[in-house]
Amino acid sequence: MSTHPSPTALPRTVGKGRRRSRPRVAAAGSRRAPLAAYAFILPGFLVYSLIMLYPAVQTLLLSFRDWTIAPGVNSPWVGLDNYIRAFHDPVFIDSMVNATAYTAFTVPLQIVIGLALAVLLDAKLPGRVGFRVLFYLPVVTSWVVVSLLFQFIFSSQDGLANHVVVDLLGVAPENISWFQGRWTAMLAISILGVWKGIGWAMLIFLAALTAVPQELKEAAALDGAGAAKRFRYVSLPAIRSALAVVFILLFIGGFNVFISVLLMTGGGPGNATQVPLTYMYQQAFKFLDFGYGSAISFSLTALVLMLSALQYWWTRRRMAR
Amino acid sequence: MNNIRARRVSYALRYVLLALAAFVMVYPFLFMLSTSFKSRSLSLGDPTNLIPTEPTLDNYTQVLGTEHFGRYFLNSAAVALVSTALIVLLASMMAYAFARLDFPGKRIFFTLIIVGLTIPTMMLIIPQFLLARDLHLLNSLPGLVPFYVGTALAFNTFLLAGFFEQIPHELDEAMAIDGAGPWRRYWSLALPLSKPAIGTCIIFAFLGTWDEFAWALTVLNDVDNRTLPIAIALFQGQHSTSWGLVFAASIIAIVPVLIVYIIFQRNFVAGLTTGAVKS
Amino acid sequence: MKYWKSGVATIAALASISIAGCSADTGSPSSSTTAAGNTGDISGTVTYWHAYSADSPEVSTLEGTIIPAFEKLHPGVTVKDVPIPYDELHQKLITAAAGEQLPDLVRADIGWVPELANLGVLEPLGTSMSDFQSYADQVYPGTLATNLWKGTYYGLPLDTNTRVMMFDQSFFDKAGVTVPTTVDQLMAAAPALKKAGAYAFADNGAGGWNMLPWIWSAGGDITDPGVTVATGYLNSAASVTGIQNLVDMYNGGYMPDIILGDSGGLATSDGLATDKYATILDGPWMYPIFAGQYPDFTVGASQVPAGPGGSVSVVGGEDIVMTQSSTNKEAATEFLRYLLSADSQLAMAKVGQMPVLSNLGSQLTAINAYYAPFVEQLKTAKPRPATPAWSQIDSILQDEIRAAIRGDKTVQEALDSAASQSDALLAQFN
Repeated sequence: MSTHPSPTALPRTVGKGRRRSRPRVAAAGSRRAPLAAYAFILPGFLVYSLIMLYPAVQTLLLSFRDWTIAPGVNSPWVGLDNYIRAFHDPVFIDSMVNATAYTAFTVPLQIVIGLALAVLLDAKLPGRVGFRVLFYLPVVTSWVVVSLLFQFIFSSQDGLANHVVVDLLGVAPENISWFQGRWTAMLAISILGVWKGIGWAMLIFLAALTAVPQELKEAAALDGAGAAKRFRYVSLPAIRSALAVVFILLFIGGFNVFISVLLMTGGGPGNATQVPLTYMYQQAFKFLDFGYGSAISFSLTALVLMLSALQYWWTRRRMAR
Repeated sequence: MNNIRARRVSYALRYVLLALAAFVMVYPFLFMLSTSFKSRSLSLGDPTNLIPTEPTLDNYTQVLGTEHFGRYFLNSAAVALVSTALIVLLASMMAYAFARLDFPGKRIFFTLIIVGLTIPTMMLIIPQFLLARDLHLLNSLPGLVPFYVGTALAFNTFLLAGFFEQIPHELDEAMAIDGAGPWRRYWSLALPLSKPAIGTCIIFAFLGTWDEFAWALTVLNDVDNRTLPIAIALFQGQHSTSWGLVFAASIIAIVPVLIVYIIFQRNFVAGLTTGAVKS
Repeated sequence: MKYWKSGVATIAALASISIAGCSADTGSPSSSTTAAGNTGDISGTVTYWHAYSADSPEVSTLEGTIIPAFEKLHPGVTVKDVPIPYDELHQKLITAAAGEQLPDLVRADIGWVPELANLGVLEPLGTSMSDFQSYADQVYPGTLATNLWKGTYYGLPLDTNTRVMMFDQSFFDKAGVTVPTTVDQLMAAAPALKKAGAYAFADNGAGGWNMLPWIWSAGGDITDPGVTVATGYLNSAASVTGIQNLVDMYNGGYMPDIILGDSGGLATSDGLATDKYATILDGPWMYPIFAGQYPDFTVGASQVPAGPGGSVSVVGGEDIVMTQSSTNKEAATEFLRYLLSADSQLAMAKVGQMPVLSNLGSQLTAINAYYAPFVEQLKTAKPRPATPAWSQIDSILQDEIRAAIRGDKTVQEALDSAASQSDALLAQFN
């Protein structure tokens, strides 16, 4: 194989079937190899397109109709009516507000606590495996079970939450009916979200921290840097990528919150705690208005996509600096 | 002398913090465990009372003795194992291409993957159902696999791409100069160096497919074909539920997931990957 | 052709004449159901979706007693029952309908029948089943009415239930109060009950299932008999009084706030058994639950508190429906008939599923003494309005009434608003 590309060397590679391969030694690590690249991409991408993108397009098209599921019945085209309706729908607007609040509460907490735990568990600590399992347990416990337990914890009668807030901390004068007010219910749901997600974030950070070169940490220690400084200047930059990934995934997951709200409050009382996806579910599966349900989902998707793209672009710019 | 004591204090402090955090995190699970040993569990008892007064294994024996339970367990295991293997393979290949290779349309492909992350799968359930029907994959256990793989690819590709980007470029360059093609670099360099990332991917993929409920319920009708989450949901009645039974079943279902986790988190050991740089 | 057929059906239904065997010969192409008694030549598989939970006595009875007995009578037929978790059954039905993958028979919640019929996926048993009328005559009228949609019957009732008033007799004795039989008595006894440490009445929601006994017993209603309009009925003086009674009790501190949303509150069953709630309204399934969870507690039951309209409760239960897409309608219909036989109904009665056959009423108390007040209540119990819009109307009703209970609006305002919103929804189907 030629190692020094020159204009005369290229034609010689034609016969070997690597005609499009042009090694660029000066490139920043990415190799131009389109044929091979497609071989890597296409198998997965084909499955993905068939299972995700194709149904997504169909759902999008559905949102432009007054769709009925009755077989053989015509569904009239209504254009953007469903979307216009969504943006004038106070329940939809409120649901977006709720989702935003949920995301704003849960994402930073999961990142900070998850990272803190990962750092604590990165070092050689006896019983480390045991702790790692314990923190992961909330992640693997089913939502049904966990929502039930949290409803119980936030019970207005003698729930644990009221014990803590009224008796232990003395912050509230009397028992709170958590699930009857919009923001107290959202708080309970958000706490559930954080609790369940910490182990997940911790897992990713643990994986990322193991990639931090040991020699760098040792060198920094020899230079006299304390644990905090070592973390800030050695570990943190090394896990930048993982941080960006976790942030985006949690951000998207926050706006797409569904099952916990459905199980904890069902969107109630009276639509106060609806989030876009529970509202979509109600419209589509309970009221059989699939066109409107799809419009709601796509409005949410569009918004989240815009925000994620913004962030992704912004973090990549920071990383490139 | 001071150093040793300082280190001991630091360790002790870490332990206390971790223990407190662990207790808070695990408390609901402990309550679940405790209720699973109670005989009368139609309503949940006092949350501060974790020790049941008359512990019994009845719930566990009833769950394990339920008709088809072993069958459901094996069904879930088969689907989860096959799906996880495919997810890890396909996602890592895609992630490698995004992280390390250049090709026309790369941006478009990647954007489409990100779009997949933002689409809630609940919304797709009817078109996917029609697709499954047209592909004759309804009511079949193997038919679950393409759908599980398809819905997990965006997430896992995105995750792995983030990790693959951390691999030092010099290693890639070195191998390329030695004449290694992309497949060789992927197989012999990226994968081994990304053990923690691959481990994470396996853990998430397995958990996702093992626990999946909504799609399996929609598509499977034959009682023989069903998966474990459906079996657990069936313990819930229309008017009342014996929660001890549901919790016992859930705990049994958690065991394989924990096993997968414990096996693959061994990869999260610092220093595992640094030796490669030198060699 | 279609209109003529449904015209015949409407006349037949309205006249309520027993015309078994006559209406089958209208030449309808989908009618492959045989007359009862012709059992020799049916075969094939019948799939039956239901929501009995795993390891429950209901499913054991179905799979251990009823299906084997049926298969013995018809050796060529195999019945495959598919249990589906109750919370997911509706969604699965909708998805299956969209993909045209429905089973032969479904044990559907009574509220779903108009919706499914409106989608066109149900077989109009009222016209296509030759001996439909003979079965229709045997069941409680309130239960049969849940199968009616646009003048045609799309199924038959399978099991029924209703709500009665439950209480702890020993608590009332201790408080020195007689158990009330009318709404006025309940409200009058409330202060004394509060003094003894309990709320007079508790319920966990404000939808139709919860509120209708109060509205009907006060002499009010939700819609006109034809289910076309709500204004004039839902916001009538009688309906307003019915709800006002509850609002007054809440304001007096005689009702807990779980009516506003009960996640995390003290459940009605737990509250009754621990004497925190003096009375609740609930169904026959509570007896095994109380026996299991609170074995020392004896629950008493009597009729729903009466008002000017009498003591009228709300009918619940399930209907059995057959799908249009079924490929084995003969066998499916035969199994349906078997499920409505006295043998099946009594077998299910033993495990808490109240039969719909009205002539079995006297035998029920021999099976379970606690069925007595339910049998009595069923004589006058009414079903919720049969319309595909009910799901939405129910939500609206709950939101408006909760607003009234919280004091955000007066009861009249709340019901006026609910009525006008319901009118718009009902208009879609008329």
